[in-house]
Amino acid sequence: MQAEGAAVSGIAVALAGGAIRGSIPYIFVSLGECLTEKSGRINLGMEGVLLMGAMTAFGISDWSGSPWLGVLTAAAVGALLGLLHAGLTELPRVNDVAAGIAMIVFGSGLAFFFGKRFVAPMAPQLPVIDFGGWSSDPAIHSALRISPLFFLGIAGAFTLHYVLANTRWGLRVLAVGDAPEAARSMGISIRNKRMVATVIGASLAAVGGAHLTLYFPGIWSEGISGGQGLMAVALVIFARWSPRRCLAAALLFGAAQALGPSLQTAGITGYYHLFNASPYLLTLIVMIASCSHRKTLTGMPGALAAARG
Amino acid sequence: MKAVSLADITVSPAGNKTTPQRRMHLAGLESVVIPVGALLASMIVFAIFCILAGANPIGVYASIYKAGFGSWYSWQNSLLRAAPLMLCGLCTVLPARAGVLTVGNEGAFIVGGLAATAAGLATQAAPAAIMLTIMAVTGGLAGGVWIAFAAALQHYRGVNAVISSLLLNYLGLALLLQLVEGPMHDPGSLNFPASYAIPESHHLGVIPGTRIHLGLAFGVIACLLAWFLLERTVWGMKAKITGGNSRAAALVGLPLGRIVLLAAFLGGACAGLAGMVEVAAVHGRASQSINAGYGYVGILVAFLARQSPLRVIWVSVLVGAMVASGGILQRAHDLPDATVAVLEGIVFVMILASESLYGRVPLFQRVSDAG
Amino acid sequence: MSAPVLIEALRITKAFGSMRAVDDVSLTIRPATFHAIVGENGAGKSTLVKCLLGFQSSDAGEIRVDNQLYTMASPGDARRLGMGMVFQHFTLVPSLTVAENLSLARPDLPAIIHWDQHHSRIAEFLGHAPFKVDLDRRVAHLAAGEKQKVEILKQLYLATRILILDEPTSVLTPAEADEVLGVLRGMVDAGKLSVVMITHKLREVMQFADEVTILRRGRCVGHAMVRDMTVPRLAELMVGESKPQEEIEKTTPVSSSGPALHVRDLEVRGDNGLPAVRRLSLAVNPGEILGIAGVSGNGQKELVQAIGGQRPIESGDILVGGRNFHPSRNAIRESGLFTLPEEPLQNATVPGMSVAENLALRKFDRFPIAKAGFLLDRVALMESAREAIRTFSIRPPSPRVPIRSLSGGNVQRAVLARDLGSGDARIVVVSNPCFGLDFAASAFVHNHLMELRNRGGSVLLASAHLAEVLKLADRIVVMSGGEIVYETLRAHLDMSVIGRHMGGHAAA
Repeated sequence: MQAEGAAVSGIAVALAGGAIRGSIPYIFVSLGECLTEKSGRINLGMEGVLLMGAMTAFGISDWSGSPWLGVLTAAAVGALLGLLHAGLTELPRVNDVAAGIAMIVFGSGLAFFFGKRFVAPMAPQLPVIDFGGWSSDPAIHSALRISPLFFLGIAGAFTLHYVLANTRWGLRVLAVGDAPEAARSMGISIRNKRMVATVIGASLAAVGGAHLTLYFPGIWSEGISGGQGLMAVALVIFARWSPRRCLAAALLFGAAQALGPSLQTAGITGYYHLFNASPYLLTLIVMIASCSHRKTLTGMPGALAAARG
Repeated sequence: MKAVSLADITVSPAGNKTTPQRRMHLAGLESVVIPVGALLASMIVFAIFCILAGANPIGVYASIYKAGFGSWYSWQNSLLRAAPLMLCGLCTVLPARAGVLTVGNEGAFIVGGLAATAAGLATQAAPAAIMLTIMAVTGGLAGGVWIAFAAALQHYRGVNAVISSLLLNYLGLALLLQLVEGPMHDPGSLNFPASYAIPESHHLGVIPGTRIHLGLAFGVIACLLAWFLLERTVWGMKAKITGGNSRAAALVGLPLGRIVLLAAFLGGACAGLAGMVEVAAVHGRASQSINAGYGYVGILVAFLARQSPLRVIWVSVLVGAMVASGGILQRAHDLPDATVAVLEGIVFVMILASESLYGRVPLFQRVSDAG
Repeated sequence: MSAPVLIEALRITKAFGSMRAVDDVSLTIRPATFHAIVGENGAGKSTLVKCLLGFQSSDAGEIRVDNQLYTMASPGDARRLGMGMVFQHFTLVPSLTVAENLSLARPDLPAIIHWDQHHSRIAEFLGHAPFKVDLDRRVAHLAAGEKQKVEILKQLYLATRILILDEPTSVLTPAEADEVLGVLRGMVDAGKLSVVMITHKLREVMQFADEVTILRRGRCVGHAMVRDMTVPRLAELMVGESKPQEEIEKTTPVSSSGPALHVRDLEVRGDNGLPAVRRLSLAVNPGEILGIAGVSGNGQKELVQAIGGQRPIESGDILVGGRNFHPSRNAIRESGLFTLPEEPLQNATVPGMSVAENLALRKFDRFPIAKAGFLLDRVALMESAREAIRTFSIRPPSPRVPIRSLSGGNVQRAVLARDLGSGDARIVVVSNPCFGLDFAASAFVHNHLMELRNRGGSVLLASAHLAEVLKLADRIVVMSGGEIVYETLRAHLDMSVIGRHMGGHAAA
């Protein structure tokens, strides 16, 4: 009985730690996508941005010895990719979906190209904050080593919420995304707002990617991302375009992602791949349940709904 | 898709000095010059990239050419890669012409290969021709259902098909890995989990006199059939109307849901067939190897070919050559084989950007827009 | 609080291509008056106002403010003079609250908004405002009437002194309309505001306005003080002389053997989710043209879309020859019920396809274009297209060009060729067929509709141009607010009554 209890609590701890760990990329990418979509544009190319962010952070951290410089550079690179996406989608007759796919191909290609040159197996990591110091249990210890990016992500969610609710810029972005014609009649530049939102959004996504390589195990490989960039789009729909709900949803998705590995640590090795696929299944179910053919989803920015039609 | 804007509609032929025939020729010219221009622009950008990466761009292009078309050996390499690309390209083209954009090629490929393997193992006692036929049908069915599911989710439920099909890619991969490590696992495949193998004698043969497996024939025939279907059948017309303007399609009483589902099914079946070929001609069994990435490159092929089945044929050969050159780039220029991916990405972005030029380049337009 | 100034627009002319939207129109807005601009669709009201507000520059004429010449170069200029407009479509952001919307409108909004301060400032303003609205409600949850009030409040919050309203009561109930207009009337009486109201609702003009200017086809056909006007005279000026001159010959009498097309208790929702067609019933007999008159935006578009299968039906039936009709391809062919929606290029063709392909849209799945049931014979397609191009004089006479390169008139010819040319059409439902067409193209369309009628076919014609309806219809109904409000035979036609019903005025 005790062994079973220990097993269950072992899974729970692993799950909690994994959820926090796994949520970080989701937090940043979903916040970035949320901002972009609030301005009325969808960016499906975040997967490419994520990979470039991961690769850049790793490379710069390795080269300079400073992981934080890696994070900053990743953010800058993300901003550039966002600029490219914004420029591409502003062109007339360019399909937003196709542009996103092109960005995935381009971004991942660049990332894999530069990533091939990395000689070091591991780059200097971001300092972790040790919340599990009070425990003697090594499992709890490792589960509660939390990356500082997690707290940055939480701060980001609340900051984004504040900006959208309490600043002139934020209100104008909301106007542009919900009722572009109304915004235009008020003299607000739709193109500028969307461009800035897309650039900031991609920058955030790149920071999320940085977490993938600057946290244990801290390696770079081409499989480092598992589609989080695109799943974040579904996450934003699930969170009904609210930054704070994105935070909660990111933890949920992180937990789903941690399910497979957590069960493994407890010795449950069957159906390993299917458990690892639970985030994708979760996302799919979430999408099916949230979307509807006829009525617009509550919270969906008007410009997105119109583009869908 | 962006709606047709009033600016796209040229109004009032008053003052127009070109005859309709001349305008048509100019428009025809446009659809050649603009993509060629985009390709040239990509090559220039890629050349800059090569220089920054420390390689000689002319040398790089020469190597790509040599690896792709330099000898009969290279040609065969390119054609070998073109075969699955043709089929995977159709997986995007067919639904896209009916108005649905998906990226599920990879998933359909894997699921098709998986289903084909299972079918092949079940029927391996039969003569090769029968077993292969059953494998092809099963692979096609599995791939078709896979993509049709994503299309149905979009049509009936409003779920973006790009997202759902991408998720299905990952689910398909998980299914593959689970099955080859579990129920279909061959204990003989120690370090690298794989399914039981279909007998060597029953592998898909090669085109006589070459190293190229019959998958190339499948690809070319599928593209020709797809062209025929879209351009010379009643159903093809229905699909193009649905993809061209769903309002008009509804007006003339076309059953939108059925058309979209069938287009998606046919596209998915092509990718599934490609998966079957990968198993029956290349690996002989299902394993992680069949996750070869043809699906994603197939999307690029479809866009480069501007969703035309005939163009898919030669675009696949071109892209196949690019993909085949990865090895040479590594050996001769010390460039990682991801260089090809970078070139693909640049081309993709340029081709998309060039879409905005159609109907806008003054050289091709002699019509004045009335106020 | 400064008083509104005197605005004069003198001899304004604005043309688009060969069409004069506004032709030598003069308008004087005296301070603290309520001035109505009346006219049908296409009369030039919106264009005139846009010139006044700096959204467009006029080709000729000048604008004077307080007797000084003024160049209205941009909307900002008009704004500075205290001019503001409430448009027909709402310019509010649905997901934001009333307070947020009001704040967003002000150019002096600080970068960081301290809502408690801001809130009290808005609340203070609201204290003096004529309407009361809940500041914290999201605009999406407001009823149309409340939204309209917020739009007006927004203008007042911006210190607008000359308020221009474009069809302000089109989405309001009569009670709401009275409330809103009553309040504005009060502000005008108090000397705080000048109001310019574009409307086709004659009752409102009589009840609230001081002056009225009537436009028809871009020209000013009348101006008077409202106290010197009557509704019948207004209606007459709005729609024109007693009877239209041209009349196409009607050879066969209307059949009395039961309706060809019967719409029963139809309910259809509009794009905004609100009902656009309310329990509407009508019937068209064989050999008859039923004309639906009415200002656009009263549900005609949605009605035609519903019959055509482009918009779902909430409840009600469509019966053809007594049997229920669902617009599947077979049913359309068997019943011969073809729908021609307005703006044909966007709604009835595939713009990227060739003229030939579009011409075959209704028959490509039948012999002779379809062979062996599933093959498409492109040669037959081209042949058939050339035939149609010749018969219907489509220019340019090339079947291969994409249909979007054709002029509007030729697109309509192509659609008509497709639907009427085959002889399969027995019932035609058509909406604003001559929108944007010149005289020759319009005459062409009308002749074909009349020909169909004379052959025993039925036509349901919805048009915002009363003249067109009067020219063609055997029987006329007026649609207002999603319902049929009046019906008459052409023979018993009384122009002023029709004008009044179109003006939303129920009883004489």
